[in-house]
Parts: sequence; structure tokens; C-alpha cells
Amino acid sequence: MKVFLDLGWFFKERKKQYIVGIIMLMVVAFLQLLPPKIIGYVVDEIRLGTLTGGALLKDLLLLAGAAITMYIIRYYWRMMIFGSAILLARQLRARLFEHFTRMSPRFYQKRRVGDLMAHATNDLSAVQQTAGAGVLTLVDSLATGSFVIAAMAITIDWKLTLIALIPMPIMAYLTNYYGKQLHNRFHFAQEAFSSLNDKTQESISGIKVIKTFGQEKEDIQDFIQLSDDVVEKNIHVAKVDSLFDPTISAIVGVSFFLSIVFGARFIIAGDMTVGDLIAFTAYLGLLVWPMLAFGWLFNIVERGRASYDRIRALLAEPADIDDASHALDVKAQGDLKVHIDEFKFPDDERAALKNVHFTLKRGETLGIVGKTGSGKTAILKLLLREFEGYEGWITYGDHSINSYKKERLRSAIGYVPQDHFLFSTTIAGNIAFANTSARLEEVYEASRLAHIHEDILNFTSEYDTIVGERGVSLSGGQKQRISIARALMMKPELLILDDSLSAVDARTEEAILESLKASRVDETTIITAHRLSAIQHAHQIIVLHEGTIVEKGSHEELMILQGRYYEMYQLQQLEALVEMGGEA
Amino acid sequence: MEEQPKLTDKDQSIVLRRLISYLKPHKKVIIFALFLLGLTVLGDVIGPILIKTFIDDYLTVRNFPQGPLIGLASAYIFIQLSNVFISYFQLLKFQEIALKIIQQMRIDVFTKVQNLGMRYFDKTPAGSIVSRVTNDTEAIKDMFVSVLVGFIQSAFLVVGVYIAMFILNVKLALVTLLLLPILFLIIRTYRRYSSVFYQDLRERLSQLNAKLAESLQGMSMIQAFRQEPRLKDEFNDINEQHWEAGKRNIKMDSLLLRPAIDLVYALALIMLLSYFGITSFNNTIEVGVIYAFVTYIDRFFEPINQVMQRLSIFQQAIVAASRVFKLLDEEELVPAQANTNARIEAGKIEFNNVTFSYDGKTDVLKNISFTANPGETVALVGHTGSGKSSIINLLMRFYEFEQGDILIDGESVKNFKVQELRQKMGLVLQDPFLFFGDIESNIRLHNQAMTDEEVRASAEFVQADAFINQLPDGYKQKVTERGSTFSSGQRQLVAFARTMATDPKILVLDEATANIDTETEVAIQSSLEKMRQGRTTIAIAHRLSTIQDAELILVLHQGEVVERGNHQHLLASKGLYHKMYLLQNGIVEETV
Repeated sequence: MKVFLDLGWFFKERKKQYIVGIIMLMVVAFLQLLPPKIIGYVVDEIRLGTLTGGALLKDLLLLAGAAITMYIIRYYWRMMIFGSAILLARQLRARLFEHFTRMSPRFYQKRRVGDLMAHATNDLSAVQQTAGAGVLTLVDSLATGSFVIAAMAITIDWKLTLIALIPMPIMAYLTNYYGKQLHNRFHFAQEAFSSLNDKTQESISGIKVIKTFGQEKEDIQDFIQLSDDVVEKNIHVAKVDSLFDPTISAIVGVSFFLSIVFGARFIIAGDMTVGDLIAFTAYLGLLVWPMLAFGWLFNIVERGRASYDRIRALLAEPADIDDASHALDVKAQGDLKVHIDEFKFPDDERAALKNVHFTLKRGETLGIVGKTGSGKTAILKLLLREFEGYEGWITYGDHSINSYKKERLRSAIGYVPQDHFLFSTTIAGNIAFANTSARLEEVYEASRLAHIHEDILNFTSEYDTIVGERGVSLSGGQKQRISIARALMMKPELLILDDSLSAVDARTEEAILESLKASRVDETTIITAHRLSAIQHAHQIIVLHEGTIVEKGSHEELMILQGRYYEMYQLQQLEALVEMGGEA
Repeated sequence: MEEQPKLTDKDQSIVLRRLISYLKPHKKVIIFALFLLGLTVLGDVIGPILIKTFIDDYLTVRNFPQGPLIGLASAYIFIQLSNVFISYFQLLKFQEIALKIIQQMRIDVFTKVQNLGMRYFDKTPAGSIVSRVTNDTEAIKDMFVSVLVGFIQSAFLVVGVYIAMFILNVKLALVTLLLLPILFLIIRTYRRYSSVFYQDLRERLSQLNAKLAESLQGMSMIQAFRQEPRLKDEFNDINEQHWEAGKRNIKMDSLLLRPAIDLVYALALIMLLSYFGITSFNNTIEVGVIYAFVTYIDRFFEPINQVMQRLSIFQQAIVAASRVFKLLDEEELVPAQANTNARIEAGKIEFNNVTFSYDGKTDVLKNISFTANPGETVALVGHTGSGKSSIINLLMRFYEFEQGDILIDGESVKNFKVQELRQKMGLVLQDPFLFFGDIESNIRLHNQAMTDEEVRASAEFVQADAFINQLPDGYKQKVTERGSTFSSGQRQLVAFARTMATDPKILVLDEATANIDTETEVAIQSSLEKMRQGRTTIAIAHRLSTIQDAELILVLHQGEVVERGNHQHLLASKGLYHKMYLLQNGIVEETV
């Protein structure tokens, strides 16, 4: 029940709704007592022949009044309590999202998207259940249970009440016991199901091997065996699951039988009437729900507590890169000086960068080349302040990049990442991502610079074409060029292309580089690439190898050096030739 | 997020009918279960009549003869007890039937999947196929277990209760018939609104989750472009819409579900009491009958409430079923084979003017012709996308082709039985896929006839035994997560052994040495050489060094054979092959 305390802040916030809702629940629990009583009363009157038209009308009106009142109140408490529960889910969801936007890449390296999604869906709904159905079962089982017992004991007969209640604890015990059994067996059934799921996954991933060896029939046989296991484990579940209803009706039946037998004795003794007995049996029927609800309550609360703890733990994760207390609120621009002595990615022993020192003058272009894993992207990540905690310093203009407001630094940088991630919105929406209010003309302009404008015009809805699963499927090169247009929309002081031209052909690459050169006067550009043609024109090229700079200079200088760069260049010339079918 | 197909009422009833047709094979068990259900309903209905008899014939008249009373009590106890047992078995039986039906459906879907052509797998993400086989069928199970069974139970009970009421008092029973149209109206209204509101809620939820998932995946972009506030706003918008939809659903449920049914229940009570009350002014009424009617009305509303609560499960199951049936009706099947007794004896392969396209638009193979004589090796080289893999895909009959023909021992590949092709042709894939299990089961696959000796012999043949013997559990070493605990070279050696275990006449190697670590490379190379001996081999190779001794090398470019000949011949002609060779050997000086 601790979870109710943990959620106390919310109950306080929605004090009015919960208090009114709970009072309404109790009123309904009380009104429920009326119909059996009225039935009993009318029966007695009929039996004694004392029923008058007026009395009957009064009783029926009372019944109708109670029913309509209950209908209205039931509607409102649901709106109050269940309505609050979904509001809680909404608030927590918004908080989680807000929190996610403040988390750094380090956080996303540790946790998979699937897990985070699970918190935002399954855990949230368990908490919502607690604040809704949990509160309901708690209040209702206590209120209905105690009211009904009180009505039986006070208005009919306390001795009979005691007798009739004897079997009830057995029901509570048994259903609780079944619940535990069910839980265990369900776990096995779930396991069998997930093996079946794994098997299916494997068969589909390995479909080519299965076809190659002509093993379709055998594989189906294997699947059938696993599905047999699923059936068996589920029948185990069904064996317990099917116990609930018969057990409840058996126990209620015993209780009922006892009431009739002993009730008849009391009637003969003149302690109660036939009408009382009928009302009494109707009350017994009302007792079943609170008994069951109590069992559910523990279930709901237990799951809610675990889920809420997980959500709180997630929300408690601190944002590890934050602005300094007096961060500079000025435009970031100027020369870029990088002086990294050593940098390791979190949880990695190996140094990703070592002694990387260079200066990039404003308006110049820097090319970074090197094999995969040589540290190209690591440099960019540090520039973007996605990671901190390196030995050395990086300054932009006259200040360390750490002393700017993150917001100001990022607004100066147009970043085109390696894994061109596009959002499932329109192409125009993707390009104008950083500036949604941009004029269409600006979007066209950026697209022309990235040489994607013509391609876009060929799509069925042009700039309004939706990207992704439900829309057009773009080629890698098209995605890259849209990413470039997206970055250009910012008119960035510093443009970073992280191997972003790898999927476009040589001619387009050249055209894009040309238009960048022409349009970006006095603006700084950093390009990393596998393909040297993308950086050949740079004012300065650094060659990285295992995290450190091994060669530095312009294309011409590096060619004269006849080192690593030279070798790469020669190989790539040949490669290009092969790709074109040997005809240069 | 999976797209929710929009289903019209007509579509829904077609899907439902098809679902119900799955009940047919279980007719006998279902009839038995229905019989049990009938018995429990009978018990439920007789119980109140016994109590009524007790009240009217004995209690009110204060007449207590021991014999009949004991008889009455024991009859009551007997009925209650047997009802407990029968209803247990009845519930269990229905669940069993539902589970069996779902199993059959799963097997059907899985079998169907196994019979689909590679084209289907190209265009459908693996995850969604898996969903069809497991998750969607699970949703259908919920419907069979909780909705359909609940529905049948309610129907039986309603009929039983009415029969009893008619026996007790025809006039009153007729009056209570009025309840049916009212309930029907509520259920219909609920179904109409819930199909709109509930669908809407689910759609908003899937939008919400899609937005969240996408934002999480693209968070670095959002942060780099400082769009956190905008995305937060967008998310909050969807969140709010979802909340609004949730409120609408609560409102609808509150207006039409339990509270409404309870209101009708009160109406029924009012009907009963006014009938009895008014009749009592002129006639005598047996109070026991009142008791019986009140009890029946109580019973009657229980299952109706349950069924209504579960209507949304029904809605979801229909959607899931429509997706499952769509897969079952898929027509992208494996290429058909003629049913002849043609056999592969020598292993001669001929490609005659084969032209092929995956999408029907761009040809990926143009007029390919070549011959591989028995025992010879034909190597395919070329840059990515040149058509090498397509040649293998056609030879293996993964895809159907229309133009040209491929002959094995003079017979078209289309004329061999699948088993014959699979037995005589061994394909080693670029990505050696290992299954969950152990090393041995990965070599043997499902071929139980293969002895342990044969497994070992084939592992020794490809020189995989060296590393296998060093494993703590040897051949019984567990393989998990697709063999990620083994190096790519080790996986490849197991895949070799798997292929050699079937002793194929024709060997097809799809870049078998592309991702090999250096430790195992030597072993792999010498194994490959051994494997090729005495077998016709079609090999794709990125590393030209591995195919220098091939009898015929085809150089492909954009789906065409641009050069052909043996290694010496191709080198001498100084064409594309020569350049590739230089590139791989890092001899750069000569070229530029």
C-alpha cells in the first residue's frame, strides 16, 4: 500500500475529485442496500396481505429513485476517479518525455529505446491502474463489504450473519491461493510463448538456410512441437483459471444453504420473516464482489508499486551535461582551436582520441579522414558537447565551448550525422526541422544547395511527401542530401558533415561541394569522409589513425608526403575505376 | 507501430465467419462441452425452483415432514455439487478447444510462411511476420477464451432462465421479455460508439507511442537542432488528444456499461415487484415464486455484464484476425516445381540467356549464359550490385524467372523436385546462420538419420573439428543468440560442415569468405579447396585470390558478363579483372 503514499502528491493535487469520488462510491455502496430490503419488505406485505397500492407505489418509486441516483453517481465517480487516473498517466508521460529531452547521448548509450518505451507504456499503465482501479477496489471492497455485513447484522439478524459468513474467509483464502498458482503457471506459459516467438523469429531470419537445406517440413514439425508445449502450459493455466468460478459458486452455495436452513429455523422461531430471508440471500450475493476485489487489490498495488519505482528511478537520472552557472549567452563564432590530449568514451578503457591538436580559422574548411574507428566522429561529438570529460580544451572564438550556453553553441552548428535520421513527417517538415516557420522559398533554396530539389519534385506530393514507412522510401543518397539541406536551413556558422556524402555518386558530390563553397563565404566547414574526393578541396586535411593525427596538411602537401593519405588516394582512384566497370 | 486496417461491418462479419469455421474440426468436443454447459445451466435454473418449493410448500405453511425435506435438501446439495464439478470441466474444455484452435491457426500461418517465396521476405519486415504468427494469434485466443465462450454461456443461461420463468409464470415471463430489446439496444449502441471511440483511443495511443519511439531514436538530432521545446509541445499535443480520447471512452463506458446494465436490472426488479404487487391485490401469490424470479433476474444480468466488458477484446481480435488471414491468403509463393523424377547425376550446369528482374522494371541480369561442366569451378566476380547473388538466387530457385533457362544435367531446374535440388545442391551463405541448439544440431539440422560419426566426419572434413574439440562441451557446445559467441570464421566452418554432411553434387558458395577473421582464414581456404574436389562449384568471391584456379571466371557488371576466361587469360587481357586484381593486391604504382 506504500504506493498510495508515494502517489500522495497526485492525490493531493486532485484532492477534490478523489474525496468526492470516494464519497460517491460510499453512497453507491449504501444505496445498493436498498433493493434487497425493498424486495424483502414487499414480499412480507404480500404474504401478510397487507400490501396497499399506495405502499407499493412508494416502494417502487423509492427503488426507481435509488436506481437512477446510482446510475448518475456511478457515472460521476468513474469520471472523477478513472478520469484522474488517466490524467496521472498523462502527467507522468509528459514528465518522462521532458526528461528524455534533457538526457545526453551517454544515457541513450546505456539504455535501449525498447526499454525506455516499456517504461513509458507498460509501467505507466500499471501506475494508472493503481490510481484508478486500485483506489476503486480498496474503497469499494471495504465500503460495500462493511455496509452489506452491517445491513445483514443490524437490519436482519446478527446470528444468521455470522453463520452465513463462516465459509467466506475460505473463499478469500482459496482465490488468493489460486491467484498465486495462476501467477506461477502463467509465468511458464509466458515462457513457452516466448520460446515459440524466438523460434518463429529464428526461422524467419534463417529462412534462406532452411530453404537451402530443404528443411521446411522439419522446421514446421519443430514449430508444432513448441506449439504443443504452449498448449500444454496454457492448459495448466486453464486448470487453475477454471477453478475460480466453480469455487466461488460452491462457497456462496454453502453460505446460501446455511442461510436457508438456519434462516428457516429463525423464521419458525419468529425471529425473522420470509421477506427478511429473501433480502438476506440477496445481500449474500452482494458480498461476492468485495471478496474478489480485495484479492485484486493486492495484485494491482503490487504491480503499481514496482512500476512506479521504475519510473521514479528513471526520472531521477541527472542530466550529465548542463550549462555552467554563468554560461555565455553570446553568439558562438570565430576560430576553432582543438587541443585534446586524451578522450575516452564512458565505460571504455581505450582512448578514442589522443593528442589531437589543430586550429581551424573562421571561413576555412577542414577535412578529416581515417578508417572506421580512427576517431573522426569522436572529435565531432566533443565539438557538439555530446560528451565531456576529456583532457585538454576546445575553444570557439575567444571562449571554451563549455562556457557557452548549450543552446547558443548548438545554434551555431549545423550537423549532418552519419546515420541520417529523418522524421516521419513531410519532406518540407524534415528540411525545416530547426526552423518550422521558414518560408517555402528558403526550403527550396536549401534543397537546391544540397542538390535534392529536383528529386523532391519528382515525388508524388513533392515537398509534402511523407518520409518513412507510410510514405516514400528514400535512397541512402536522398536521405543524406535531405539531412544536408536540413543543416543548411540553419545557415550555420559551422557546418559539420560527418561522412554525409558517402551514398551520393561522385558527380553529385562534386556539385554539392561546389555549391557549398560558393554559398558559405566566411563560414567554417568540417567534413569527415572515407572517400577522399569529398575533402580534397579542404584548406586543411588531418589524417587520423587510432585516435591520433598522423598526417596534416593540404591535399597537395599530403600527396607529396607519399604517406598514408597518398596510399589511400591511389587505392580509391582504382576503386572508382572498378565501380564504373573499368571504363574511366 | 503496426497500421490498423479499417474494417467495414461486412469485412468484420467475413472475418468472424472465417474464424468460426476453425471450430468445425472440434465439432464433437464442442458438442460435448455444450452439453456440459447445458447441464450447468440446468443446475443453475433448478436450484431456485427447489428453494421456491421449500418456501412455498413447507416454510410458509409451517409444515416440516422430515422425509421430503431431507430429500429436497439432498437434491439441492447434489445439484450444487455436481454443478461445481461439471462447470469446472466445462470451463476447462472450452479453454482447451480455444487453445487447440489457436495452435492450428499458428501452425497454418507458420506453414504458409515456410511456403512463401523470397520475394515476400524481401518486402515484409521479419518483425511483422513474427507478429502475425504469435501476437496476432494470441489476440484471437483471448477472443475465443473470454468473448466467444462468455457469449455462448450467456446465451445458454438466458435461454435457460427464460424457460424456467415460463414454467413458473407465463404472464410474468412474457413481461420480462421486454428486457431483451432494451438490452439489445444498449449493446448495439455500445458497439456502435465503442467501435468509433475505442478505435480512436487505440489509434491515438499508437500515435503517441510512435512519436515517443521516434523522438527517442532521433534524440541526438532533436538536441543538435535545439528542437526540444517544439517536440515537447508536439508530444504534449498528442498526449492531450490521447487523454481526451481516454476521457471520451470512460464517459462512454460509464454511460453504457455496468451502470446502464444495473439500471436495467433495477427496471426488471420494478417490473417484477409491480406485477406481483398488483396481482396480490386480487389473488394469492406464492412468495417462493417471487424469490425464484428475483434470483433468475440476478443470474441473468451477470454474464451480460461480463460480455459487454469484453467487447473491446472482440474488436481487437477481429483486427488481428484480418491481418492473419491476409497473410494466409498471400500469393507470393515459392516457385513451383514440376513433379518429375529427374535426377542430378553428373552436376553439369548451364545458364542459357537468362534475364531476370526483381521488380519487373529494372533487369538485374541480362542475357547470362555460361556452362559449368561436372567437377569444374565457375567463379563470379564483380562489384556490389553487379548481379552475382542473383545468379545464385535463380540457380537455387529462390526466385522464379521467366526469360531463358537454367539446365542441370540437361534438364531445366524447374523440372526437379525440390527435395532433389536441395539434396544435391549445397549452398554456403555469406552470413553463416547458426540456430539455437548446439554445434552438433547445427551440423545435422533436422536430419535425424545422420549418425554422430557422420556429423564428426563432415566436421573433420572441413577441418572444423580442431576448434570444436577445444570447446568445453565439444560437439554439444551450446549455440545461443545466432552463434554470437563464436567468431565468424568458426561459424562459417560449422556451416561448411553442415553443407558437407549432405554430400552435395553441386556446391554454391556465396562470398563464403567475405567476413572471415584472419585466424580461421587459412583453415577456411584449405577446407574450401577440399570441398570443391569432385563437385561442380559456383562461387562468388570478393577475394580474387580464392578463385585463381577456377576453370571459368565471369566478371559481371550491371547484370552483364563483361569478361570471361581463366585467371591467366583475364589478367593478360588487362581489363576490369586486372584492375580488381591490382586493387586487392595493393599494387598501386602500375595503374595511375
